Amino acid sequence: MGPHHPSMHGVLRLIVTLDGEDVVDCEPILGYLHRGMEKIAENRAIIQYLPYVTRWDYLATMFTEAITVNGPEQLGNIQVPKRASYIRVIMLELSRIASHLLWLGPFMADIGAQTPFFYIFREREFVYDLFEAATGMRMMHNFFRIGGIAADLPYGWIDKCLDFCDYFLTEVVEYQKLITRNPIFLERVEGVGIIGGEEAINWGLSGPMLRASGIPWDLRKVDRYESYDEFEWEIQWQKQGDSLARYLVRLSEMTESIKIIQQALEGLPGGPYENLESRGFDKKRNPEWNDFEYRFISKKPSPTFELSKQELYVRVEAPKGELGIFLIGDQSGFPWRWKIRPPGFINLQILPELVKRMKLADIMTILGSIDIIMGEVDR
Amino acid sequence: MERSEHGNRSDTNTDYLFQLLCFLKLHTYTRVQVSIDICGVDHPSRKRRFEVVNLLRTRYNSRIRVQTSADEVTRISPVVSLFPSAGRWEREVWDMFGVSFINHPDLRRISTDYGFEGHPLRKDLPLSGYVEVRYDDPEKRVVSEPIEMTQEFRYFDFASPWEQRSDG
Repeated sequence: MGPHHPSMHGVLRLIVTLDGEDVVDCEPILGYLHRGMEKIAENRAIIQYLPYVTRWDYLATMFTEAITVNGPEQLGNIQVPKRASYIRVIMLELSRIASHLLWLGPFMADIGAQTPFFYIFREREFVYDLFEAATGMRMMHNFFRIGGIAADLPYGWIDKCLDFCDYFLTEVVEYQKLITRNPIFLERVEGVGIIGGEEAINWGLSGPMLRASGIPWDLRKVDRYESYDEFEWEIQWQKQGDSLARYLVRLSEMTESIKIIQQALEGLPGGPYENLESRGFDKKRNPEWNDFEYRFISKKPSPTFELSKQELYVRVEAPKGELGIFLIGDQSGFPWRWKIRPPGFINLQILPELVKRMKLADIMTILGSIDIIMGEVDR
Repeated sequence: MERSEHGNRSDTNTDYLFQLLCFLKLHTYTRVQVSIDICGVDHPSRKRRFEVVNLLRTRYNSRIRVQTSADEVTRISPVVSLFPSAGRWEREVWDMFGVSFINHPDLRRISTDYGFEGHPLRKDLPLSGYVEVRYDDPEKRVVSEPIEMTQEFRYFDFASPWEQRSDG
């Protein structure tokens, strides 16, 4: 199954050995979208690297940016102001909804149902409009900065976002009516690609794949980063571990995200949206307020943010799983090693195991339910 | 073993990687469940220039980092039989750095092109590489040719003019 796919899977080549219609073995071949992101990171300052990171997972772009700034923030012990943290949470959850929507469309298109593919793009257009109003770009926003976000939300954005939340809840109900109890869908999806809980942990799965196998593991609750514990929400998980369970987990995660967004919007505090201390030129001495140096904390953030000589692993609950960066700083603006731990790369390893006893048509169901994005798998 | 301040982490340099990880996996106090990440790092100034970092997660949600040093010809034992998720990571370390593993079940290139020579993430391979690929119409296939740089490589050195002021 060649690198090009009719549905939006990205460039993944599967060499499938068949016996009639039963699958004997399947081997994924990656590397078609390898762009050398890790090597580029060694030659770019963080603020220069931010446009690159949205190209890893190009459907849930805020998560890649969040993790790129979280690393240096933790290395430099920079506190993010509350308002910036709330806005980041709102953007992350909107991005999660967008990513799950674009998972749902191609998943249904592979199974054979073409109509949800169009519905999700309608919802995604609303999310794109919100993003464009706040960040200036529909998809590849360069929004997060070390110490906060790039610019504050425009006037009236909060009301638009609340309208979107109300509208989207009705749409999720519509999806459930259309898809979840559809007997053809259930035939295709129920009992396909079962992963047990122990097996899921052994293979290092994360995200909805792990939660669908009966393990309520969500990094937003475990790590408690980014003011997520100020909101009330539940971890969505299922027990069966088949593709239907993964579908249900992702669908209910969308409603949970809406809940988080509504709570965040209603409780949005005032205050600064960026920690201006991180923009100063010189970290070693504390300049006097209104000194010569303070006059240069101006529009552009300083590219000389120094990463200290430490190693750090930060992680974030991306919609695909656990997205992590292993960052080794050198005492300079450029990182020494920037290792991306993509969730899709790990989640894809289980594919040959799962398809071993299935029919040919089930490969696409399982591949769809794993939810991979080749941009992050190949980097 | 040393502890660093970012979370519960200990690192150790060892040549007995497989035995150590086996111990970590089975011992009651450090029940390691998953190998989260295997990362290779290149420090060209050291004698054993490569460092392979295994990042593990225990059952109690803390992370342990195990580091091994190797040079170009040393071979490391793989941990794939303990942690199945490590298979692809080790392939990537081989592909990107050239650190090979003894008795790895499947050691091939993973991210680079078919027929790519060299190991990209070593510090001596330049960022733009040595060959570029283009589709050649007379031959009707993709050919690789030595790279032609139309723009010189811009290295941003950000020593600000105001920074000298801090010293003097």
